[in-house]
Amino acid sequence: MVATILSAGRLATDMLQLRSTIRIGITGLARAGKTALLTSLAANLLAVSAGRPALPAVSDRLRGRRLRVSIAPAAASNIPRFDVASHVAALAADPPRWPARTTAVSMLALDVDVPREGLLAPLGPQRRRLEFLDYPGEWLLDLPLLGQSFADWSEMTLRRLETLNSSEIARPFLGFVRGLPLGVQADEALTLTGHRLYAELLRRMRDEAGLAFLQPGRFLMPPPGAPPPWTEFFPLPGRSPLADLMQVRFNAYADAVRRDLMSPMFGDLDGLVVLADLLSALHQGPASFADARSALAAAADALRWDRSWTDWLAAFARLKLPPQAIRRVAFAATKADHIAARQRGNLIALMRRLTHVPDGSAKSAVFAIASVRCTEDVVETLAGRPVSAVRGRIIGEPRPARYYPGEVPDGVPDDLFWQHRFLALPDFEPMRLPEAGRGGIPQLGLDALIAFLLTEILG
Amino acid sequence: MNAAPEPFLLLEPETAPRLEAVPALLPTAEPVRWLRSPTLAGAAILGIGIPVLWALWLVSALFDRWGTLGWAGLAILVCGIGLICVGIGRELRGLSALRRVDQLRVEFASGEAGRVQRAARRWLQGLPQHSEILPALAAADTPEAVLALLRSGPSQALQDATEVLGRAAALQSVAIVAATPLPAMDVLTVGWCGVRLIRQVAALHGMRPGVMGTLSLLQKTALAAATVAATEIAVNAATHAMVSHPLLRHLAGDVAGAGVAARRMIVLARAAAVACSPILRG
Repeated sequence: MVATILSAGRLATDMLQLRSTIRIGITGLARAGKTALLTSLAANLLAVSAGRPALPAVSDRLRGRRLRVSIAPAAASNIPRFDVASHVAALAADPPRWPARTTAVSMLALDVDVPREGLLAPLGPQRRRLEFLDYPGEWLLDLPLLGQSFADWSEMTLRRLETLNSSEIARPFLGFVRGLPLGVQADEALTLTGHRLYAELLRRMRDEAGLAFLQPGRFLMPPPGAPPPWTEFFPLPGRSPLADLMQVRFNAYADAVRRDLMSPMFGDLDGLVVLADLLSALHQGPASFADARSALAAAADALRWDRSWTDWLAAFARLKLPPQAIRRVAFAATKADHIAARQRGNLIALMRRLTHVPDGSAKSAVFAIASVRCTEDVVETLAGRPVSAVRGRIIGEPRPARYYPGEVPDGVPDDLFWQHRFLALPDFEPMRLPEAGRGGIPQLGLDALIAFLLTEILG
Repeated sequence: MNAAPEPFLLLEPETAPRLEAVPALLPTAEPVRWLRSPTLAGAAILGIGIPVLWALWLVSALFDRWGTLGWAGLAILVCGIGLICVGIGRELRGLSALRRVDQLRVEFASGEAGRVQRAARRWLQGLPQHSEILPALAAADTPEAVLALLRSGPSQALQDATEVLGRAAALQSVAIVAATPLPAMDVLTVGWCGVRLIRQVAALHGMRPGVMGTLSLLQKTALAAATVAATEIAVNAATHAMVSHPLLRHLAGDVAGAGVAARRMIVLARAAAVACSPILRG
């Protein structure tokens, strides 16, 4: 009897020894900190694996067990690898450099072995592969395009452009589109002119108006290499040969998004991290804040949150398991080291008020994080009053700065809030990396986020 | 109600070095110290002290009886104690070799080029037959390159040699089980084969474990068996499920036949190799 139980246990062990994959999507608009998060996550998990106390919250959950982490071999994958070593080297350099803007998709894959606890310990470690995708933040807003027709997208985009506060920016493009004759022919010169005007409009909306909900994302951050012809289109309502051509190119663009971004990663997620740079949005004003909020909501709505019966049928038809539903969502407000400790609670509360899980089935948690910590907390006396602030060195400036951007609201900002100044975030330099990065990367709150995402394997 | 303070960005008058993170301290468990147990300490004192006193009393009594007899008794005592000390020395050396495996693993996992390079050289000192990779090792300038070199060189060769030992032990165990007249004798004979195989694998990895070292190695091998099990699925999951933890099966006194015993030897060899090698396989 005992022998049978042992045999069955061993057989189960063998099954469990297979390395299953946990896919975690990172969504965040441009400059939200996706690359910094992935770099810090990889470097700190590798440091924990080498016995360094880089992630205290993860070490607490391990309760003395030794985590083994390694960068997974790329094998024959057609997605380039996320270059952890060069990003860590840039942060560890003196003077340090922040990772450059991401211009293409890359994959970070980590093999993680977590020993089991208690009576299950003899079964050997749990073996998992964690996969994350890094991509230009501008491309995130291409995901909602997949659920839209060209006509709907054109109508929605033009309506939004007409209601822009800074309508001067949109006037050249809107004048061009409204001035096109009915039944206009599919002329390449018209196509190029419309595309150029629309791409220029998107750039000005980003750079001058501080807006984020800008589609298509590749118009702002084109992938490396010569652009294919289907990337040259613009929103055009009505029926005409030119509109038909725009629709064909829009569909080809959507296919590329599905092939390059949705299918490799966002189509089959186990967990999700939603990053938002709320502090920068607070500085840029109410229009920018509302725009960033709706952009994040649109991106989240484009993801798969549950499985429908059609998914089951489609999967059975292909003799495959149906795609995963997202089980854990971490909402993280980034750059939390730019505000003092007593304000981080407000930042978490603000993030909580702005986010939601669509169907409520996934477990969610809210964090205020700094993937790469740059500052320390200090108390500055101002006109005889103590003010909690942070202290750090701004890149290129040898003298440290003491910084307090303003009060962070604990809910959606009202009109009264927008009457006060909220300073722009300075470009602080990262703290010195222990052992040039081998000891991990100083972080704030990232350990709690990782412990939450990996709850199922950490126990 | 107090108004919120005005935002500010103030530069300090003096320059300062780049900020350093305050190192986090991990809670560490209090190590278990056996010598602090009064029971064990008392037993050790009695176990060693009484025989020593008795031996000294005996030699003293022999000297009282006849001087020559006393010298002969003293020579026997010194000779016996000397051999025991040599044995203890070998045990300690065997145990330290096993401990060195753990230390080397830590060094290899450190990610520091210098430490990994030094650890690799230290490991190869115990494996002179693989010294031909030393020039390539000197040229490898990253920890990843050093580890890749060790994996494809000495580690792979040791793995192949372990497979050969495992297969040879498997054939022997088949013959022994077939030739043993009493089924109850299978436990002893196959168990003896297993222990011998573990010691052979240890010797292959540059270790010479004594009795204590062998016991420690048995423990490590039992722990490594679960890891090794992962690689066995492709062979035969059902059979493997019966044999992948041979020590437990020995303790249970359950030997299921010559085929199972053979399979057990191959798995045991792999588990012992995992326990003896500082290079962790993926």
